[in-house]
Amino acid sequence: MFKTDAGEELFIIDGHMHLWDASPANQVNKYGAGFIGCFYDYHRNLSPPEYVWEASLFQKYGPERMVKDVFVDGYVDMGIFQPTYLKDFYKNGFNTTEQNSALKQRHPDRFILNGSWDPRDGEAGLDYLESLVQRYRISGVKLYTAEWKGNSKGWKLTDPWAMRHLEKCQQLGVKNIHVHKGPTIWPLNKDAFEVHDVDEVATSFPELNFIIEHCGLPRLEDFCWIATQERNVYGGLAVVMPFIHSRPRYFAEVLANLMWWVGADKLLFASDYAIWHPRWIVDKFMAFEFPEDIRKEFGVALTLDVKKKILGENAARLYGIDINRQKKELAQDAVASMR
Amino acid sequence: MRREEVYGQLAKVNDPELDQPLTELGFIGDVGIDGNTVTVHFRLPTFWCAANFAFMMAADIRERVSELPWVERVDVQLQDHFFGPEINGGVNCGKTFVEAFPLLATDDLEELRETFRVKAFLARQERLLRSLLAMGWLEDAILGVRVGDLPGLPLSGEGTALVERYLAILKERGLAGDATAPAFVRPDGRPIEPLEFRATLARAQCTRLSVEFNSAFCRGLLKTRYGEGDQAMLGSSDRGHPERAFRRLVE
Repeated sequence: MFKTDAGEELFIIDGHMHLWDASPANQVNKYGAGFIGCFYDYHRNLSPPEYVWEASLFQKYGPERMVKDVFVDGYVDMGIFQPTYLKDFYKNGFNTTEQNSALKQRHPDRFILNGSWDPRDGEAGLDYLESLVQRYRISGVKLYTAEWKGNSKGWKLTDPWAMRHLEKCQQLGVKNIHVHKGPTIWPLNKDAFEVHDVDEVATSFPELNFIIEHCGLPRLEDFCWIATQERNVYGGLAVVMPFIHSRPRYFAEVLANLMWWVGADKLLFASDYAIWHPRWIVDKFMAFEFPEDIRKEFGVALTLDVKKKILGENAARLYGIDINRQKKELAQDAVASMR
Repeated sequence: MRREEVYGQLAKVNDPELDQPLTELGFIGDVGIDGNTVTVHFRLPTFWCAANFAFMMAADIRERVSELPWVERVDVQLQDHFFGPEINGGVNCGKTFVEAFPLLATDDLEELRETFRVKAFLARQERLLRSLLAMGWLEDAILGVRVGDLPGLPLSGEGTALVERYLAILKERGLAGDATAPAFVRPDGRPIEPLEFRATLARAQCTRLSVEFNSAFCRGLLKTRYGEGDQAMLGSSDRGHPERAFRRLVE
């Protein structure tokens, strides 16, 4: 909960967070080391200095630290666990649905637990998806198209088995499909960050919502174009938000474009914890206003209403959360007493 | 002397995504010259930087340095990259992309290269259009500018760098041959109709933002990964180069 000087309360849902184990003991190979090394550089590069961690803490920080950072210090009321399996890089996976569910059990009203599937698992993948719905009643999945699996170095949403999985999601009511476009390696001669497959599946599956993590960056133009064509495409602001600190002007330009092309109703705040700590992002975002020239050019303003939508209301709508009722539930839970 | 010649050639190699020279980006590490053999070490902002662009840069380094008449052999060494050995092995043996990655690639990189030259074109054009608009130019006047008028546009400092960069990419695309042709056209040379001007600019802005956002992210990550030391500047002969003014502009 963020409280403005005027006493107004904003309910905050962090749309993308992780509890990973990337410690050397869990790494399988140089790719596991390279993956967390890359995240750590993101973390060091864009965080204010007082929020920069030691590498060993960043590799494995544990559930208590996460709960304190995010819910106690970080203003966040609820967070969406977005699993990233990476079993070719980490023995037990980077963070799986099953692992995340342990913390969800301890704080049931704080977390939205998302699942994941991999089209390359074929029939077994469909069964796994069904078991996730039965066991955890998930209503969303996070898909990482750049994940390696044996000889395969990535996949597309339009692959036949991916389409089968999306069909299954639609049948089972798993409505929120978070798509993370990492650098997909197959086929290697194509642009690795391309988002055009989103366009096709968004048309084919009108009942599903496609939340594109980091708004398709570094391919913002493609994402904006697709999101204007498809009413069920949303933008996740992980990676975009932290630029508010080091590059406020770019942040303003990008957000103004997103609001103009995609709309303030379709953008979801996310910290990508533990890459970035939500506290400073929320503080800076609440204090942020567009420069005059941008406000004029795009005719958009970062009003309190817009901030409320981006920080929580949009995600609440997608996940069927009644904010007023949820506030009451949360007022009683274990985290509330730690605040 | 030879070292400066090598750096001069390296300054002609661009990162295709960021549309800036490797020497400016700090991607060039140690350069060794041993008789007629040149070894160029280069490094990228992350372990996971796209392998296709990395291959293009490695191949371009080899090609450009090989243009020097005294050079007999070029050894390119991409460091700290997930496909480093594969890329170095392929490029140093003169393999094409498909030959280097027979199992992962379905074609060579020409289509990808063109896609990103178009993005570079749009981004360079948008920056120049924006600076003209900021000076109070009207759309009709802008669309009336001819190729031959570009060098004489009343811009200074950073604006001059924008003109030079735009003119260079017009030339590269074969769109600068006729001095009386319109200067502001689409990447394939078709004219921009007055009614499409604003929409064209808005779309190009997204492209430019992607390039800049990426560029800012990559520069920051490179610094985080390798520290402040900027080896590429050693012996660099591009002092006073318009890229400098341009870099100030986008930073």
